[in-house]
Amino acid sequence: MRTDFAFVGVMIVSAALLMGVTLLAASFLRPKKPNTAKLSTYECGMETVGDTWVQFRVNYYILALVFVLFDIEAILLFPIAVAFNALPLFAVLNVVLFILVLLAALLYAWRKGALDWE
Amino acid sequence: MDAITNLLKIISDFVAELIRSVLGFSPLLAELVTMGIAAVVLITFAALSFMGLTYVERKVVARIQDRLGPNQAGPFGLLQPLADGIKMFTKEDTTPATADRWVYNAAPLVIAVFALATYAVIPFAPGVVGTNLNVGVFYVLAIGSGSIVAILMAGWGSNNKYALLGAFRTVAQLIGYEVPMLLNVLTVVLVTGSMSLIDIINHQTLADGNPGIPHILMLPLPALVFLISGIAETGRSPFDLLEAESEIVAGFHTEYSGMKFALFFLGEYVNALAVSFVFSTLFLGGYAGPILPPYVWILLKAALVFFVFMWLRGTLPRVRIDQMHALNWKFLVPMSTVNLVLVMLVLKLFPTSESAAQAFGGLLVTPWVQTIILAAVNLGVLFTALTLAARAARRFRQAEEEMIMRRRAANLAAAKA
Amino acid sequence: MTLQQVIFIILAIAVIGSALFVVTTSNLFRGALMLIVAFFGVAGFYVLLDNGLFAVAQVMIYIGAISILIIFSVMLTRGMQAMIPRNAQAGSVAIAAALLFLILLLAFGPFRLVVDLSGVPILSALFRTESARVLGGVPWQFANREVPETYIADFGRALVDLNQFLLPFLLVAFLVDAVLAGAIYIARQRKPAEVIAEREAIAKEEAEELAALQPQPNAPTLPQGAIASTADH
Repeated sequence: MRTDFAFVGVMIVSAALLMGVTLLAASFLRPKKPNTAKLSTYECGMETVGDTWVQFRVNYYILALVFVLFDIEAILLFPIAVAFNALPLFAVLNVVLFILVLLAALLYAWRKGALDWE
Repeated sequence: MDAITNLLKIISDFVAELIRSVLGFSPLLAELVTMGIAAVVLITFAALSFMGLTYVERKVVARIQDRLGPNQAGPFGLLQPLADGIKMFTKEDTTPATADRWVYNAAPLVIAVFALATYAVIPFAPGVVGTNLNVGVFYVLAIGSGSIVAILMAGWGSNNKYALLGAFRTVAQLIGYEVPMLLNVLTVVLVTGSMSLIDIINHQTLADGNPGIPHILMLPLPALVFLISGIAETGRSPFDLLEAESEIVAGFHTEYSGMKFALFFLGEYVNALAVSFVFSTLFLGGYAGPILPPYVWILLKAALVFFVFMWLRGTLPRVRIDQMHALNWKFLVPMSTVNLVLVMLVLKLFPTSESAAQAFGGLLVTPWVQTIILAAVNLGVLFTALTLAARAARRFRQAEEEMIMRRRAANLAAAKA
Repeated sequence: MTLQQVIFIILAIAVIGSALFVVTTSNLFRGALMLIVAFFGVAGFYVLLDNGLFAVAQVMIYIGAISILIIFSVMLTRGMQAMIPRNAQAGSVAIAAALLFLILLLAFGPFRLVVDLSGVPILSALFRTESARVLGGVPWQFANREVPETYIADFGRALVDLNQFLLPFLLVAFLVDAVLAGAIYIARQRKPAEVIAEREAIAKEEAEELAALQPQPNAPTLPQGAIASTADH
């Protein structure tokens, strides 16, 4: 198994090297003529006012939280899915219960309007 | 005949032997060099197909929209990718002065590297695969979610309000559509009993190598939802509201130009191609096929899926952000969950193997009968969900019309008074 | 030194280095990114332990979900850009942490301290040691077993086995439900009057802090029902 993942490591390193070389090559080939207009942040041609902050929208956070929940459910369900063929009735019912409990969480969030994008 | 079918395997074996003979003194080094060459070949394949795909996409979408597409650079515009490449290399890199250097420069690199890392597990022919991880399909999903952080890096590193806002919206879309993808890949793993991509392909082929029952016949609903989630995950139309020029300029990559922008672009196309490869492996049978060699089959199937992507891009209008979230959380996720539970029950009630029937006590059926039952259950869930959604939409529309009528009547009464 | 040991050392340096960066930096976003590097390192450790499932699960959960949550909370909190956390107790805490680390290393590490008090007159009477006492050191047993090929299926079976991990498995579902309900309650849409009352309270607190920092006779007063703006951040 270690050798399997060794290829993944080699792949990531090679991709980083190749893309890095491409970026370096591009940095030699392109012109460099900075002026104040080009260096300022882009706001459709207008001047930037105030610090860079974004209005607090709690929707983003709740969506990320629901995603974490379903992510945890998925990684617990993947090994169960691999072992599914030999599972007895009791185990399958427990798995179904697990999924339904999480579905109930989603329905609760739905009813409370947490899934609405304003 | 055999040589053509096993062409890729013969070439890879030959190269491995060559390296082992040259670097015989250290098997470790030989192993590493072989893997390095394989990695470089995969990356080159992905990069070349990226260039070709940009051209093909522009031509196909143009024809769907009744226009010609690029036809100036070279005959039939075939040199257009070359022209695009030259442009990307020689465009000036306008980095904003207040950007966070490291984060800003690292973001496109991270996205491109993660998009390319998916190709390590895709099987192109029997025996020709980067590495046959026994958590193959799980690895693909994890790499997909790992690249999401790079988008936040890009948005934050630009020090630009709109880039940051665009990055938030992009991340909200990507993590949202990850959930139905996970749930539907789970159904495939349930049916197969393994997460390894080669095992999934073997489950769709008969023992003598002929194609068996592709999973799309067994699980049409997961295939459909995986396709939709795949389109949303790669940020293509109709889910490309993050690049809607009139609304948010270019989203999280507003402040990028030149090669770095090209890397974002490459990441998107390489991702889309990877999703097509994964879809054809999970649902269409991968490299299995009757007459043609296996690597031709998988390329054909991936090309077919990518053509569906391009078709949808040229046809459908863009969705709004609240429509997109409602579609995901209120339609796709509950439907996928219910489908998952029902698939589990059907697999246990109608097993195909003797041992499973004895363990659980279900009704032993042949694979084809199980396929038909699974497909029927899936389509039943789909139609139920669509009917419920249609009814809810009709109710919503009627309530809106009622409210408009009431407001109009109130305005008329107020005007008269 | 085998390749495995070299990779282990590289990963260990990466994880410890990025963890140190996370706790000492004042740039919160860079800290979050270094935390992600630490998570990758831990995933590498799982690979070295022959457990691909946990490595990939680590990447998917920690880097794909929890890091995004952390970065969201870092970026969505107003004034984060200007806050430079100052810690006056950093020195003493560092010393305490180093001491604790040494004690834990002694208690759980492979070192064993042999204390022979039988010769010392007073202490031997106090502690009544007849022979040398061995302090610390846990005799860790290395299970020289290979991780079996079917470890994923074994883990899946163990999750739903009544005698193994079924109860934690179901508890995770209920815990997750409770977390979501709590978060939705905290983030609920408040009525406008509630919002104004909350913001007035926050503004009052900030004015008091400002007055405490700068000993001025007249603290800046906010107009009635003002909503604290972010212009002064």
